[in-house]
Amino acid sequence: MHEKKLTIFVGNLGSGKTEIALNFALFLVKQGYPTTIVDLDIINPYFRTRMVRHVLEHMGVRVVCPRGELANADLPSLPPAIQSVLEDTFNYGVFDVGGDEIGATILGRYKAFLLKNSYALYYVINQCRPFTGDKASIIKNIHFIEKSARLKITGLVSNTNLGWATDVQTIFKGHEVVKTVAAELDLPVAFLSVRRDLMLQVSMRLNEDIFLLPLEIFMQPPWYYGITDPLLKIPQTAKEIPD
Amino acid sequence: MAKVLMKGNEAFGEGAIRAGCRFYFGYPITPQSELAHFLAKRMPEVGGTFLQAESELASINMVYGAAGAGARVMTSSSGPGISLMQEGISFIACAELPCVIVNIMRGGPGLGNIAPVQSDYFQATRGGGHGDYRLIVLAPSSVQEIIDLIREAFDLAEKYLNPVLMLGDGLLGQMMEPVELNEVKEVSLPPRPWATSGRMGGPKRIINTLIIVPEELEKHNLKLNQKYKRIEVKEQRWENYQTEDAQLVLVAFGTAARVCKGVVDYCREQRLAVGLIRPITLWPFPVKAFDYLLSLATVRYFLSVEMSTGQMIEDIRLAVNGRRPVYFYGRFGGMLPVLTDVVKEVKKLLLEEEC
Repeated sequence: MHEKKLTIFVGNLGSGKTEIALNFALFLVKQGYPTTIVDLDIINPYFRTRMVRHVLEHMGVRVVCPRGELANADLPSLPPAIQSVLEDTFNYGVFDVGGDEIGATILGRYKAFLLKNSYALYYVINQCRPFTGDKASIIKNIHFIEKSARLKITGLVSNTNLGWATDVQTIFKGHEVVKTVAAELDLPVAFLSVRRDLMLQVSMRLNEDIFLLPLEIFMQPPWYYGITDPLLKIPQTAKEIPD
Repeated sequence: MAKVLMKGNEAFGEGAIRAGCRFYFGYPITPQSELAHFLAKRMPEVGGTFLQAESELASINMVYGAAGAGARVMTSSSGPGISLMQEGISFIACAELPCVIVNIMRGGPGLGNIAPVQSDYFQATRGGGHGDYRLIVLAPSSVQEIIDLIREAFDLAEKYLNPVLMLGDGLLGQMMEPVELNEVKEVSLPPRPWATSGRMGGPKRIINTLIIVPEELEKHNLKLNQKYKRIEVKEQRWENYQTEDAQLVLVAFGTAARVCKGVVDYCREQRLAVGLIRPITLWPFPVKAFDYLLSLATVRYFLSVEMSTGQMIEDIRLAVNGRRPVYFYGRFGGMLPVLTDVVKEVKKLLLEEEC
């Protein structure tokens, strides 16, 4: 799972890259790897890695994201510290890239540095999202993103979900589609990500050898929490929205 | 019936397409841009037209033109962009043409910020531009409701030949929720006698907002006003949540209403008789909801919860008309009301006098 020092998550808008990147970084830290997460999202205004910076830092992940006022802006401002993550051979870097081919454009900026390193470029798929519902449209989007990132995808992440309404059937239905994409493009499915409270059910039904990444959901609307600054609180396991 | 996970902004786009809208003119602005981004991809799939105009002024005038030609047409923006559109919206209201405008509100005044607020309430419900007119204003509070209401928005626009504004805040636009989508059906649009698509032997069709003779403009103002009176009687929409035996009734729309539902649930667990009126039409304001509750006589207070310094509270006070006290709790500037803080306000009102 972690033979590559740099792991980059790309995908279509709302495919779950941020949640995956956060949880993957925490997973690496728990394994004892020194890890930095880089918020490369230049297109989303809300629900970005930077909103849980304090939580991540508390848990031992170094966070590289726009600071101060810029953290609240929707500007393509990239902190110079990103360079250090690309050049530090000791550290593990996890990159959360913005959605669609527009968000992936940013990777072109770092192409030269990435090619010098060993990196994994994972395309995150949520089959329940618009424009990625079937094999053909997913492959089309992969090509769009590869073109604007100027890099080849090296693996897929199977992340089908319906938010709080996710059930095991939804996950497996989406995972089957992801597998057909993987077969067609001759790419590995790097892992299957599953909300922590569904892990047991999924692992009991799973009859293939694949890494399961348990997910804590960080990017929640504020009515999930009864606190003043919801985005900085470590979330509980997902529960039903009260209506 | 397919379940998909959608952002609020995408749901406005998909909902519009399902309502038969095939023309979109707009200009990007955070936190609304995903709507344009979505329709740029989606409109060509259904043979529709997506056009990014050079400004909001251009987009609203393209909407004016398309509506005049009989199209189901939509535009969207956020606060500052909607302000730029006001002249065009006033023209469309005067010309009595149907269209749907989406405002995904962000922090203001001025350039403000890109965080969620509800402070464009006055602009939305009082007309917004110059002259004597109103917009029908719908305020969904979930991604599913966006899909369901936008269909109604187009129907209302054509029924009354008036622009309809859909008002949401940045959080509603950005958050993702599961929605159920029915099969896309071909929408057959009702006859469009206003459209400048040829007189077909009938009377001349002219779209004009220059009514230079005062006697004639007064007649036109009166005609519009009678229409607004009809809308006020017929089109009030709201949701009651545990109001039947409530002593304290919260009033909130959109995102604030989502927080308030949690507040009601929490208070009910603590045996506090709290309910919620969630206006779905902000104009016409659901006065009937208040009249009904006041006829039950159990309600003692109203508490308006808004993501502004207090705008809807004026409409609540007009609806309550002095019959009960109306209090206010708000967060603004992009800060959100949270459950514990609203509960504190509720307890202040319901419990303190007993101590």
